This record gives sequence, structure tokens and C-alpha cells, in this order.
Amino acid sequence: MIWLVMAFMLIICVVPFVYMIALSLSSAKAIINGKVSFWPVELNLEAYSKIFTYPNFFRAYGNTIFYTVVGTSIALVMTILFAYPLSKSYLKGHGFFTKLVIFSMYFSGGLIPNYLLISSIGLTGTRWAIILPFAISQFNLIILINFFKALPTEIEEAALIDGIGYFGILPRIILPLSTAAIATIGLYYAVFFWNDWFNGLIYLNTPQYPVMLFLRNIVNGTMVVGNASSASADTAMLGISTKSAVIITSTLPIIILYPFLQKYFVKGLTVGSVKG
Amino acid sequence: MKKASIIVLVLLGTAAMLFAQAAKEQAVSEGPVEFSMYYSDNATLPFKDSWLTVQETAKIANATVHYEAIPIADYSTKVSLALNTQTNAPDVILYQTTAGENQSLALNGAIVPISDYSEWTPNFNAMVEKYNMQSDIDKIRLSDGKYYYLPSLTDVPFYDGGIILRQDYLEKKGFAAPKTYDDLYQILKAYKADNPESYPLTILAGPRVLYRMTMPAFGVSLGRNGSGGSKVLSWDYEKLEFFEGAISEEFKAYISFFAKLYKEGLLDPEMADPIDGGIWSRKMATGASMATWAYYDQIGGVTAASEIKGFKLQMYPALEGPAGAHHQQKNRLGSGILFPTKTTKRSDFEQIVRAVDKMFFSEECSKIWCIGVKGVTYTEENGKIKYSDEITNASEGIYKYMQLAYGCGSDVTQMVWVNAREMTKYDENYAAINAAVEAIGDVIQYIPPTPKFDDLQAEEAGMLLTPLADKFEVWCDAFLTGKKSIDKDWDTYVKEMKSIGIEKFCTLYNANL
Amino acid sequence: MGGTASQPILANGKQKMKFKEKGNETLQIKLRSPLQRHLFRYWQLYLMMILPFFYFILFKYIPMFGNILAFRRYRPGLGPFGTEWVGLRYFKLFFKDPAFWRAFRNTLTLSVLNIVFSFPLPIIFAIMLNELRNKHFKKIVQTISYMPRFISTVVVIAILSEILSPSSGLLNRFLVDVMHKTPIYFMNDPQYFRPIYIFSGAWQFTGWTAIIYLASITGINSELYEAAEIDGANRFQQIWNVTLPSILPTIMVMLILEVGRLLSLGFEKVLLMYTPANSEVSDIIDTLVYRTGLANQNYSYATAIGLFSGIIGLILVSSANRISRNLTGDGIY
Repeated sequence: MIWLVMAFMLIICVVPFVYMIALSLSSAKAIINGKVSFWPVELNLEAYSKIFTYPNFFRAYGNTIFYTVVGTSIALVMTILFAYPLSKSYLKGHGFFTKLVIFSMYFSGGLIPNYLLISSIGLTGTRWAIILPFAISQFNLIILINFFKALPTEIEEAALIDGIGYFGILPRIILPLSTAAIATIGLYYAVFFWNDWFNGLIYLNTPQYPVMLFLRNIVNGTMVVGNASSASADTAMLGISTKSAVIITSTLPIIILYPFLQKYFVKGLTVGSVKG
Repeated sequence: MKKASIIVLVLLGTAAMLFAQAAKEQAVSEGPVEFSMYYSDNATLPFKDSWLTVQETAKIANATVHYEAIPIADYSTKVSLALNTQTNAPDVILYQTTAGENQSLALNGAIVPISDYSEWTPNFNAMVEKYNMQSDIDKIRLSDGKYYYLPSLTDVPFYDGGIILRQDYLEKKGFAAPKTYDDLYQILKAYKADNPESYPLTILAGPRVLYRMTMPAFGVSLGRNGSGGSKVLSWDYEKLEFFEGAISEEFKAYISFFAKLYKEGLLDPEMADPIDGGIWSRKMATGASMATWAYYDQIGGVTAASEIKGFKLQMYPALEGPAGAHHQQKNRLGSGILFPTKTTKRSDFEQIVRAVDKMFFSEECSKIWCIGVKGVTYTEENGKIKYSDEITNASEGIYKYMQLAYGCGSDVTQMVWVNAREMTKYDENYAAINAAVEAIGDVIQYIPPTPKFDDLQAEEAGMLLTPLADKFEVWCDAFLTGKKSIDKDWDTYVKEMKSIGIEKFCTLYNANL
Repeated sequence: MGGTASQPILANGKQKMKFKEKGNETLQIKLRSPLQRHLFRYWQLYLMMILPFFYFILFKYIPMFGNILAFRRYRPGLGPFGTEWVGLRYFKLFFKDPAFWRAFRNTLTLSVLNIVFSFPLPIIFAIMLNELRNKHFKKIVQTISYMPRFISTVVVIAILSEILSPSSGLLNRFLVDVMHKTPIYFMNDPQYFRPIYIFSGAWQFTGWTAIIYLASITGINSELYEAAEIDGANRFQQIWNVTLPSILPTIMVMLILEVGRLLSLGFEKVLLMYTPANSEVSDIIDTLVYRTGLANQNYSYATAIGLFSGIIGLILVSSANRISRNLTGDGIY
């Protein structure tokens, strides 16, 4: 039974990708005449060449990689530093800080106040503008707190008796036990930074733009929501072929990342080792 | 003694004048002025710093320009942010008007009233003179009598999109080119009879394109891309005032006609949603549809892709409806250049303005933005423009190729549009169509004026507008698709629109013209 | 301040006193108040929190002052915090607006439907995945299951439009050719809006969200399973008695967060699916704010609605948390 469900999942997830790969490799003419289903017809790489020759494509790609790697690293450090103490319910102020986090999930300043703040500390126009303000996602933080809470306390207590302070416990004991959770929120952060185009748009200058912004422009530029006062917005017709190529190019790297994280989803040290 | 001292004084005076003159020239010609500029980037012709037009015009204007190419879909967000906060804003912003928020921003001092600095825009002034556009410029003046941007100038708006039909089918069945909407109806019916599975009339990018191109022939212009931005009001070209177009008899006639088409299966039901360009191409190329309202330069792509023998698409002049043969309204002025107030704080503000003025409005540069550089992209033979072989042989067509390779003919940077010159970039067919449109006369009317609101009135107008626009859209769609009957439900509709303030809205507009 | 007021005790029940050695002296540092003692004992933990705390104040709390705009009139170009106080003007405006309440109703309906139908799926999927014996198959399914997450909303809608197109879509082809029915224009029909929305959301996010539950499952002590097996429990009973209770805290946390998000749905997707024909059910708070507030540059109005949603969200999250505490003993806080 499980096999059936899994197979179903597989099919419905894979099929659109297969379809898009086929579209991205087919000629526009074949697509227009409705000939393409799951296999490329009149194989050509025009869609991909259009993307790769887009001005500053590779620079933008490099930017994105930078933001993803650096952003995720900083985010992980910050989140872990906050999640670990907050997972200890006996810590005075624990409730206050947790409420602080949750409250901030529901009230944000809005576009202009945020923009002004980031400008006033001089970050606009620098690459850090889209990394630092997003160092902690409350959602990921809460997930991690929850995970730390679930860890058995015996090892920690033993370590404390041995005189290893919390600064030692965290890297040596807690982190190795939590590889699954950290890999999870690491992936979530990575995808956030990888996909982020809006913050790149408003805080950065053109040389620093991430690749998603360009790609979104290609996919979205033809469906201008709202007032399309310019005629050229309607005449802009980038084929579905190019759009499909865009999807493939933008999602492939992150998809490739996951299998490397798979190994972290193996169980951490079993608790049985603490007996005695 | 006296004579000598007079001579000395005169000499000294002259020397002083010459010295001052030299000093002034020195100050002005001190090296290229450097500034940053927002450019609205369309993914189909991505901006390139290396474009010939970009390089040449900067050279002529003695400027170093930092173009910031911002994706078109997000352009208004970024501009709004820059103007509202004046932080991290560029020195110049392209492709803007003082519609919407910009009107309030201008009146509240976020945008430079460029009319105050008209001594620094001699080229612009000259162009306005040349094409007799002073009265058009007056239309963009705000309530304080100033204009806040340098608009693009078109001498004669041209017919770049309209009703497109399968010419081969018309010829096969012996139909003459349609002149009225009823002619069109006959043609559609015939095609449906021959191809019962088809939906002869389809639209690119959803009903708003259909509405804006066809409604004027019935005397209204409504909807998201309706002229004037009011969405539910229309302009009376005789009385020179707004009227409640959405509840008018003219609109009733309009929607009745198209509802009839829908009912008889002549109008594609899918057009309620913005259709993807690919889907539209497919319908046209495979014959699932044979008529559409779209743009001329899209014909080539579809024709090339079609596998039907003898496939031929042709664009026809605007059809005649009850209010005459009218097409989408266009103005002689388009989006243009504005300066955020923060730029005035620069000591070289004057130089920036002069450089921008030269870069876009001088005879020399405006020509470059249109047809490129002599000797590189074109040569002149006997007064006629002949494009280089590379351009004329391009598969995309002259116009598109020049856009892609050289940056010519972009909405964002070309500020002066001369109809005759534009025609050289298209085939003769296009020129013939435009000539036919000219012959009909008054096909393309001007866009209604924007009322001069202060920002309090603008807020009030905005709050009235949204429910009106929403309700109109829902009812328009309901009438079109037959969900609501025009005979039975029209009065309910009118009552509802009145109850949410359409009359008040109209009065507000008319009071502030 | 929150937190327990009682004496904090170390997990091993002992209290630690710190001894400092200075030269040959041993100084016994007498700590005065319980609070100071506490801070001294756990100074490392507090130190860890300093940087993140500062981050929250700077990037999350300072911008909150911008919400003042909900009570002041915004005039473009005259400052981002509005010019004059108008009190509850904007709140009254949207309270009176039937369009707002319709959007509110639609938002709630979609969110509740989401929780009922889409919430359990990742849990079930994660559990099923965990049951797979074949490691390779498991890896493949896992990787592929979250690929849809990466397809941008615009393309998801485009793909949906293709499949559901009345003229050329697969589904309608099937209806017409095989079942001899008239084609249904799914994307435009208000009846189908909610199912399409929910299903496409589930398709996109099930595999992705399951990752969290999977991470949780890997933390379960295998001895618990062994013990259950010894007790004669079959696979299903093991899941019921071991897996589910062990990941219950995670489930509750996710549920509470989901409830808190009841009023903030994904805006882009609804905007793309919106047509005049389905507007009765497809207009949600965020799209309303976009049209009325942002498109008209009426930021005050948008901020007021945002504030209102925030308050409701906070109430929802507290209630959910309290209920969760009462039912399962666990919550977010």
C-alpha cells in the first residue's frame, strides 16, 4: 500500500519537471503546434542559450551563491545561539524572550520603515543588506527550539558535572545530536536565500542583483499584474520554452544540494551511550 | 591724463569680461558629468551597457551614466520607494509620469518641477516647438501649473495593434476586408460554421486588451486599462467632460454585442483569464482561432510557426462601431524623465539636467535612439534611410533586431517618435495599414485629461475607485459570459453602481479638471 | 519578566558554587540575590543570547514603529510616518467595508481548509517514508517529493492553467473524450477555486514540510521500538504508540504556528488565480490590501489592516498554545 502512495507521489512530482525539461529543449514551433508532451521535439538549446547570454547572468548567479552560502551560515549560527538557551525552560527570562520572538511574527514594520532602517545603518547598496536582516527566521527558530527541547538531558547534565560549560556542550554534544534538525533548517534558510528576489530588488544595486530577480523578470515580465500601460509589456512574449528553462536552471542547484544533506538525517548518537 | 585713465578703465573692463567668460566656460566644460539613472528593463530586450545607442549618446552629452536596469514588473515598486524615501535614490528616473502616486509626490515636493528649469532644457523645448506640442504639455501640468517630467513626444500616434484576421480565410470565402463590427460578426459566424470546434475570436493577455482596443468604437473606455485611469468613467469628446461610462447606454450596447458573440460560441471563453502568449500563439497558429486583437509585430512569430498551408495574418484598420471607427486612445505624450528632489542638492545639478536634455532630446541623439548611428546601422541614400544588411536580414525583423542588438526603439529611452521615421523600420504592409487608418481620420483619440487632485482628494478618489472598479469587473464579466442577463439585470447593476458612489466619483473628477 | 521565580536547580539536583583561585587564595564568592545567582550560573547561556537578542530589537522591533502609520494620514513625499493624527479613521473604514469582511471570510475559509486537508499530509507522508525499507527508493522519493517546492508560483499557475484549460487541457480532454461531458472552465469557476488552491498547495509543500517531521522521527530512540516489538505490537501499532507520541510536540508546534498564520495566506498565488468570475471566493485580505492600499498608495489603510491581522494572529496563537498546553502538556511557550 505504501508503495502505491509513494509511487503516486513520485509521479505527480516528477511529471511537471519532465514536461518542463521537454519544453525547454523543444523548438518554439513545435510547442506552438501543440506537439510536445513528455519528450522534446525538434531538440534545440535556444532557450538555454537565451538565458546564459542574458546580460550579467553569471555575475548574478555568483551573487546568489554568495548570498546563499554566507546567509545560511550566519543564519545557522544566530539561530542556534538563540535556540539553545531558549530551549531551557528553567532559564529566567525564557518566557519573555520566547514571547518576544512570537510577537515579532505578527507585527512587522512594513516596507518603508524597514527600508529606512536599513538605509540608516548604511546597509543599502551593500551585499549585507539582504543577509543580516534575515539572519533569524522565527519559524525556523521555533522549530529548532522544539527540537532541542526533545533532546535527552542526561548527557548534558553529565557534561556539566564534568565541568564542561554550556559553551562546550553546545558544539561537542548538542550539535552532533541535532544534525537532522540543523540540516533541516539549514536547507530552509538556503532555499530562502536562494529564492529571494524581493529584498534583492529593493535593497541592492544592479551589479549585486541575485539571479532570481532576472529569472523572475523573464517568467513574470509578460504577466504584468495591474496596469499595463505600456504596449510593450503585452507584446513581450517569451515562450514557455524559455520559462521552463528558467525553472530548470534556477532549481537544479538546490535540488542537487539535498542528497548531500541526506546523510545528516541519520540518527544522531544514540542516547544509550550515556548509561552509567 | 583723463584720456589715458579712460582707456585703461576700458581695457581693464574688457579684460575682466573676457576673463569672466573664460572662467564660466571653464566651469561648464570641466569633464564629464556623472550620474545614476533607473532604467525599466524588459526581459525580451535586456539592457546592455555595451549598446551602441547607450555609448554614443553618453559620449555626445559628455556624461558618464550609471544605468540601473530594474525589471519592469517591479519597476514601480522600486521607483515608489526611491521617491517616497529619497534614500539610495538615483539622480534621474526614466519611464515615469505624474499619474497616481507621483502626482501627490510631485505636489509634496519629492519630484523636481522641471518646468522651473526650462532654460536648462533647450533641446526639449525645441522639440516641443518643432512638433507644435505646447498644448499637449499644458495637459501634463499639475494644479500648481508646473510640469514635473519631460515626456516622450510622438508627432502622430500610430496604429501598432488592432484587429488581426486570417487573410487567407477571407480570400477563400470571398469576404471583403471588414469595415464594421457587424462585418466582423459575419466573418466569425462563417468560420464557426466551417469549424464547429473552434472559437474564432480570441484575445492575447486577457479581456483588458480587447476592451481598450475596441470600446472606443462604441464611445466608452473602461476597465483596468481604460483611458484616464478611472476605470469606470469615460470621456465625452464633445462635451469635454467625464460621464459614468460603466452604466451608460453605450456600454450596454458594447457588452450586448460581445455577449452575443460569447453566446454563439464565437468568442473564446478562455480569454477571461490573461492568456499566456504561448497559448495564444498556439490557438492562432493551429486555426483554433482566426481573429484576435493584438499587436502587429506578433504576427510574424505566429506565421512562422504555423503549419497550415497558405496561412496569412493581416492587421486591419479599426472597425466602425456605433460611435465611429475608433481605436485605443493614445496621447502624443508618453512616459518620460523625472528627477527626484535629492538631485537638486548636487552642485552639478544644472549640468545633469543639461546632459539629460541633450542625451535624449537633441536632434542628433534622438535620432540615434531611433535608428542608430550613421554608417553603422544605416546609411542615407537619396534622403531615404537604408539599414545595414545585418539588420534587414535578421530573422526577428528590423524593428526587433535593432532593439535587441543596438537598443534602438526602446519605449524607455527613445523620447522622440516621428511617424514617418518609424515606418522605415516596418514592412510596406504596415505603412499601408497606417495610411489607411490616417485616411479614416480621428481613429486614435487623445487620452482624457487626468484631474488635478491634491493628495487628500486623491485618497478619497482611491477609496471610491476600488469598490467601483471591482464591481464593474465582476458585472462586466457576468454580462459577457451570460451569467447575468443584460435585459433583466441591467437595472440592478446600475442601481448597485450608483449606491457605491459612481456619481459622486464622476463629480469629483469633473470638478478637478 | 517571565520565567520561573523559584530557585533554578541544576538537573542533577545540586547547586554549584563557584570557586576562584587567585594566587594561593581561594575566594568564595557569595552571591546575593537569587536572580544574581541565577545569572551567574547561566552566564554562558545569556551570553549566547546577546547577539540574537540585539538582532531582534534592531531588525524586528525598531521597524515596528512604522505601524504608527495606521493612526496617521500618509501623504506621499511628506515623510514615512504620516503627517497628522487621524485616530481610528482607517480602522473604521475597513470595518464598514463589506469587501473587507468578504475577504476576511475567504481568508479564514481557505486557511481552515488548509489545516484540515493539507496539514495532516506531510505527517502521514513522513511516517510512510520512514517505513520504507529500501534505502535507495526512500532517498529517491524524498528528494523528488520536495522538488515542486522550487517551482515558482507563477509557473505553478501556468502549469495548472495548461492542464485545466477547457480547450486543450488534459483533464478536459479526458472529460470530453472519455466521459462525454462538456468541458469545464476550472480556473474561472468559483466552485473549483478552493479545491484547486488547496490541492496545488498540498502538491507543492507536502514533501517539503515532511522534512521537519522526518528530522523529528530520526530523533526517536530506537529502543522504544524494540520494546514495543517485544510487547507484540505490529508495525501499525508501533506507529500509533511510539512514532506519533514522540513527534507530537513537533506536530503541536507546527499546528500552533499554522493557526497563528490563519490570516496571512500566500498572496501571490491568489492574485494570479483571481478572476472577476471567482472573485466572491478568491479575494483574500492580502489581495484586498494590495488593491485598495498599495495600488492606491494608501499605505495608512494597508498598515491599519496589517495591524488588525496581527492582533488577531496573536490572539489565535495564544489560544492555540493554551489549548495545546492543556491537551498535550506542550506548547510553543
